[in-house]
Amino acid sequence: MDEFEFLVNGVAHIVEADPRRTLLSVLREDLGLTGAKEGCGQGDCGSCVVVMDGLAVNSCLVYAGQAEGADIVTVEGLAQGDELHPLQKEFVDRWAFQCGFCTPGMLMTAYAFLSENPRPEAEQVRKAIAGNLCRCTNYRNIVEAVTAAAMKVSRS
Amino acid sequence: MTGVIGNRAARVGGVEIVTGNARYVGDLTFPDMLTGALLYPDLSPARILRIDATEARRLPGVVAVLTHADVPGLNRIAYSDVEDQPLLVSEFAQYQGDAIAAVAALDEASARAALAAIEVDLELLEGVFDPVEAMRPGARRVWPDRSNVHEHLVIERGDVEAGFATADVIIEGEYTTQLIEQAFLEPEGAVATLDADGAVVVYASCQSPHRDRRQIAVALGIPENRVRVITPYVGGAFGGKDEVHVQIHAALLAQATGRPVRLIRSREESIRTHVKRHPIRVRHKLGATNDGRITAIQVEAIGDTGPYVNAGEEVMSVLAATASGPYNIPAARIDAFTVLTHNPICGAMRGFGIPQGTFAGERQLDKLSRKLGIDPLELRLLNGLGTGTVLPTGAIIREGRPMKACLEGAADNSGWRERDDTQREPAPHLRRGWGLAATIFTVGFGRNVPDSAGVNLEMIPDGTAILRTGAADMGQGAHTALAQIAAEELGIELGAVRVVKPDTERTPDAGPASASRTTFVSGNATRRAAAVIRESLLEAAATLTGLPEGELHLGGGYVHATGERVTTVAEAAAAAKNANLPLHADGFYAMEFPEKYREGDYPYQHQVFTFGTQVARVLVDIETGRVTVEELTLAQDAGRVINPDGAMGQLEGGAAMGLGYALIEELKVVGGRTVNNSLESYLIPTSLDLPPMSVGLVEIPEPMAPFGAKGIGEATLTPTAPAIANAVADAVGASIDDLPLSPERVLAALEGGSS
Repeated sequence: MDEFEFLVNGVAHIVEADPRRTLLSVLREDLGLTGAKEGCGQGDCGSCVVVMDGLAVNSCLVYAGQAEGADIVTVEGLAQGDELHPLQKEFVDRWAFQCGFCTPGMLMTAYAFLSENPRPEAEQVRKAIAGNLCRCTNYRNIVEAVTAAAMKVSRS
Repeated sequence: MTGVIGNRAARVGGVEIVTGNARYVGDLTFPDMLTGALLYPDLSPARILRIDATEARRLPGVVAVLTHADVPGLNRIAYSDVEDQPLLVSEFAQYQGDAIAAVAALDEASARAALAAIEVDLELLEGVFDPVEAMRPGARRVWPDRSNVHEHLVIERGDVEAGFATADVIIEGEYTTQLIEQAFLEPEGAVATLDADGAVVVYASCQSPHRDRRQIAVALGIPENRVRVITPYVGGAFGGKDEVHVQIHAALLAQATGRPVRLIRSREESIRTHVKRHPIRVRHKLGATNDGRITAIQVEAIGDTGPYVNAGEEVMSVLAATASGPYNIPAARIDAFTVLTHNPICGAMRGFGIPQGTFAGERQLDKLSRKLGIDPLELRLLNGLGTGTVLPTGAIIREGRPMKACLEGAADNSGWRERDDTQREPAPHLRRGWGLAATIFTVGFGRNVPDSAGVNLEMIPDGTAILRTGAADMGQGAHTALAQIAAEELGIELGAVRVVKPDTERTPDAGPASASRTTFVSGNATRRAAAVIRESLLEAAATLTGLPEGELHLGGGYVHATGERVTTVAEAAAAAKNANLPLHADGFYAMEFPEKYREGDYPYQHQVFTFGTQVARVLVDIETGRVTVEELTLAQDAGRVINPDGAMGQLEGGAAMGLGYALIEELKVVGGRTVNNSLESYLIPTSLDLPPMSVGLVEIPEPMAPFGAKGIGEATLTPTAPAIANAVADAVGASIDDLPLSPERVLAALEGGSS
């Protein structure tokens, strides 16, 4: 067991854990942040994506030890109190999900992407989310939601 | 009218999903909770010589190791009448997904260590892997005391011999479809806990909570009222969670340890174990006159269901019942075989046999079209069924107009009649083609199968309502649709309806969320419950306002009379409460069969159908064999749309799944064992793999359905693969009759010979 310190959604956490455990496991089991999901445990599906130091990462592939000192944002950190992030609003308004299991990862991939690409074309969005699998939709409404949210994010 | 039906509405649970607050089964924790895991065989099929868990039980952190001897009740998963799958195997490991032992431990690592420490001696047996071989007399048996042909069913109508005799042309083909995986993003899981009185509570990612309850009780050997199944958010299912997966194992472990147990399958375990879409070989013979009229068909379908029947018999039954497609065919003979093998078990998957049958049938129609020089659209319009058409099952089509309306709609929206032949070769290595396919789909389980649903609805005097439904929402949006129906009938806003998710102790049995039945059956039950409360509201409002009841309408939270708001629904509800009028009601609906059963009818016939047509435009790279779908046009009969966003999502998502089926998806099986057990090797469509889709809806309300609405979530993937295959054939002039349409198959077809 080692001790790790990192920021999650702006709050400093000190966690005692086996450094070989995954960041996903620590977030879900130790911190109770169950927004990020485990869909495959191998980095194939994107359901576990969180933003670490500005980059979207599959948290099932990140060791807890690698997260030492990192600034992490999870889906729970997107909304400001009761005020949903524009991405969240657009996902709800456009029904950009069905079962919702891929949604937290999808949102965090989009969140990291928009911070680098504030006014993306639909094609860029499509490429950005290509590592996030959704089995329910045909991704159209997801791409539209991200593109529409970009307009609002860059305006605000 | 309030206009809740058919208008945009906020998705029930949507905010919870985007904030990460939606709790799926793997997100649940309880004090002292243990981690459960199951041991699967390294070899199969195999005889089990020895299982020794002594060492495993001694390991630190291990709380329980259960084998077949530890199942107090029936050691079976009982899907229907056939109870052939052990929960924990004792004699044979028939396939790679059989569970040998169940472990509960303090953490994941201890659980895995325990699995590794269980000593299992297996004797590898010669397997039965080819269903056609398996049917031959004298073939090696999957079970010593059972025939490999579990079921041979026949549907026959009209004089088939005479039909072929009057035909000018005969088209014969053999078609194969592959084993595919639902690939829901949330692997199966359950958490089992014990109530204060020892009753077992199971949280399960599932489609059929009440049926699960029965199976859990039977296996645990306790009365069914001491089992409670709760369905939290479900991360997709597509039929793969219709049957129990780990619910019973989790419950057994909780019962044995007295502690909560969480059992979640890994992705690899998920792919190895649960039921898939049947690979089916269809032989199809079709006769027609020179002017294009179909005179007879003969269809033989062989479905590989694996070593356990699961829903195999039902899948083959639905295939057989729809094998004539959406056409008026005077004579038909259909033989469907459910065959046991040692391959992965197959059962329910979105489409339930109809995609396989439709692939064969729609390829056949295209071959007929080519042979006779009749356009594929015109040929289908010519033979398309209509109101009054009798299907081979004896079912009489009560509303046939949507069939041709879908054909016309898809043709119009895709520009079918204006296909530009000058665009057929956009580059020296590319060929463009157009393909069209039509489908019929069944709603509900069919005659002679229990098919009912209950709901409980409660109006509260503050103007809000609670809808308690036992129907699972696996993402298809059922709860939003049911809430809209309740809101419409009670005259309140959708946001005023709170939906209680399936909980067998609180919500009535709604049956499985399958067979495209939920909107229809639970929707009707919701309407019936609402009608009771609505009557109370109107009676109370009449007393309140002094206006005649017949002049009052409920909508948008208000009571209206001649277009004016006269009071609120909340005030009417409060008045009803004071007047001792009922404000809560159970609604119950059972599927109705208006046409009488007649001698010779297929006993499991359906009487409610949906229709759909899809058009695919494809580009085929003749150097690489790669198929790119440029555009998909969907026209779907919905009866009436309850929620446009939900309907659109189902239609597009279904076609996306259909495209994966057509082009890229296949679980490879070697010696009965799947080799691509990950989402890296089993590919499903990504955001870069899907074409633009144009979606058109045909809305001719079905009289028996709630507001006319029929289930559409399965019908939508059915025509996709044959439409794409027909487009590929159109592009390259060669026929590919096996799915998926892989580059290898396309190249082989181009080099002459079919695939």
